[in-house]
Amino acid sequence: MPADVLSRNNVKVSGAGTQPMLFAHGFGCDQNMWRFITPAFADDYRIVTFDYVGAGKSDLNAYDPGRYASLDGYAQDVLDVDHALDLHEVIFVGHSVSSMIGVLAANREPERFARLVMIGPSPRYVNEGTSYVGGFERADIEGLLETMDRNYVGWANFLAPAIMKNPERPELGAELTESFCSTDPIIARLFAKATFFADNRNDLPRVRVPALVLQCTDDIIAPTVVGEYVHQQTPGSTFRMMQATGHCPHMSAPEETIALIREYLQSAAIA
Amino acid sequence: MRELTAGEMLDRLPCGVVSFVDNGTIVAINAPLAALLGYERGELAGRHVETLLSISARIFFQTHLFPLVRLHGRAEEMFVLFRCKDGRDVGTLLNAVRHELEGGAVTDCVVMEVRERQKFEDALIRAKQAAEAATAALERRTHEIEQANELLEQQTVELELQQHQLQDSTAELEAQAEEMAAINDQLVARTHDLEQARNVAEEANRAKSQFLAVMSHELRTPLNAIGGYAQLIDLGVHGAVTDAQHEALARITRSQRHLLSLINEVLNLARIESGHVEYATEDVPLAEAVAAVMPMVETQMLAAGLTYETAVAPELVARADREKIQQILINLLTNALKFTPSGGRLTVTGRRDGDGCVALDVADSGIGIAADKLESVFEPFVQVDVSHTRRREGSGLGLAISRDLARGMGGDLRARSELGRGSTFSLVLPAP
Repeated sequence: MPADVLSRNNVKVSGAGTQPMLFAHGFGCDQNMWRFITPAFADDYRIVTFDYVGAGKSDLNAYDPGRYASLDGYAQDVLDVDHALDLHEVIFVGHSVSSMIGVLAANREPERFARLVMIGPSPRYVNEGTSYVGGFERADIEGLLETMDRNYVGWANFLAPAIMKNPERPELGAELTESFCSTDPIIARLFAKATFFADNRNDLPRVRVPALVLQCTDDIIAPTVVGEYVHQQTPGSTFRMMQATGHCPHMSAPEETIALIREYLQSAAIA
Repeated sequence: MRELTAGEMLDRLPCGVVSFVDNGTIVAINAPLAALLGYERGELAGRHVETLLSISARIFFQTHLFPLVRLHGRAEEMFVLFRCKDGRDVGTLLNAVRHELEGGAVTDCVVMEVRERQKFEDALIRAKQAAEAATAALERRTHEIEQANELLEQQTVELELQQHQLQDSTAELEAQAEEMAAINDQLVARTHDLEQARNVAEEANRAKSQFLAVMSHELRTPLNAIGGYAQLIDLGVHGAVTDAQHEALARITRSQRHLLSLINEVLNLARIESGHVEYATEDVPLAEAVAAVMPMVETQMLAAGLTYETAVAPELVARADREKIQQILINLLTNALKFTPSGGRLTVTGRRDGDGCVALDVADSGIGIAADKLESVFEPFVQVDVSHTRRREGSGLGLAISRDLARGMGGDLRARSELGRGSTFSLVLPAP
């Protein structure tokens, strides 16, 4: 049911072009994170943004713990949006975990995708002894879950109702709902587990869609060595090291991000 | 006192202050925060702010805190773990505001260490986790209870079914019990009726016994007196007696004896019929019984001009009352005497009868009895009216009494006869 998917995933379509650019947000956020990027492509492309079920303004009632226990469920969200809008020749732009979600979707229906743009991708966040460096130990991920608990549960859950009932500062309630992109702590926790305990290393060699890997300098979540691994394992991929530091260049350095994506798309078009 | 510069004031605040640009580079940090983390302020200039965080807090910073500040311009009351130079982690609460400035945006953060509050939050989180675990356990338990409840409901339905069946059965049983009670009432009523009837019967029997006693006393006493005084007169105790008087006295005496014997027989029959006769049952050789009675009637038979013959094998034995057998035989022989003309012949023959019985046949060559009258000879007070000249004596009760006695001993008395060819009476008795 297309209409159901469009509503379920809070799909937004804009732009003057015909070829679709599908922007997929990362863990902890929603489609708002793309707002510094999408205007730059609106004249030439059809811009499609959406929220994964459980994030942003998606339909929380559609959340199925079984389906979203692994990234395959999120990849199905991507394909559902593709089908609902009957998208072809899709330029998929994914941040962080959505890079791997895009890989999974493109491997299932490669004919729909023209390009994959992966911003800060990591196929495996946890180290595997000495054979693979993901950047994190399991305990670090457990620590993240605890920090999330403390902020989602210890803070938002305990204090939010009191603040939201404060009639003198009604803006606090509205801000609070936007303070975290996924407001349901249980869903956020499950998404964190699906993300940080995933292992998609074996999916990379099967990619048949040309891909761009954008690697930030000093990215603590997706270290450079991981980005290089993705590039090496993904056939036909392009690797670009960014001046931007951190993990969110589309927010911290949107101009550079836009320029690199545009450059890649134009070179690919020529080729 | 001179006014403090802004820098001096920041370094005196009881909280940490740090400012960084969008790529994370620290542009300012106050002395208390540097001291809290164990650094000299000079060491921190130009470092990325996330390098001052614990590993997990770095992920949180990149996935939550920075996007929040970048997209919404501020973040409030965020729990962030800072990592000290010596590796210790310090829990803090952080407020952040992002300012767009010429040449780039700067995010200013206020950082307050939380110690007691963190313990309190730890307790809250543990309590919440425990509550969630308890809720999950409760849900499982609820599920189990619901299942058990379903089972119970099924069983309840079955029990109700069985209860209905039981109620039906009970109703049937109650109906049966009512019927039984009704029958019982009828039985009680019937028993009551029967008791009443028995009382009436016993009352009647008492009246009969009383009548017999009165009869015995009130009739025989005067008859004995009549006989006694007639004898005294005949013996001349009251003076000389003429021949004619002797003759009259003899008639009185005969009538008196006849009447007395009649009364005795009536009393006998009454006693038999009221079941007051007792039988002394023993093994009785029929030859012995016959031998005992023949002498008693021999004189009368000779006087009547009759001959007799007995043929009873010694092995024929009856299980009966010896005296009653003899009484019946005397009765039968006396009857035969009465109804057999002079020159006639009597025979007493023993034989076996069917079904383990023995029999004595008393046969005469007398006038016989018509077939249609044969059965009535056993009825009380009946004498078959025949025309012959001999005077017949007796009450007509002899055969009735004899048959009652025979039947009382488990036997019977039967008769067969032909007019002009004599009669045969058979006394049938059980063999041992």
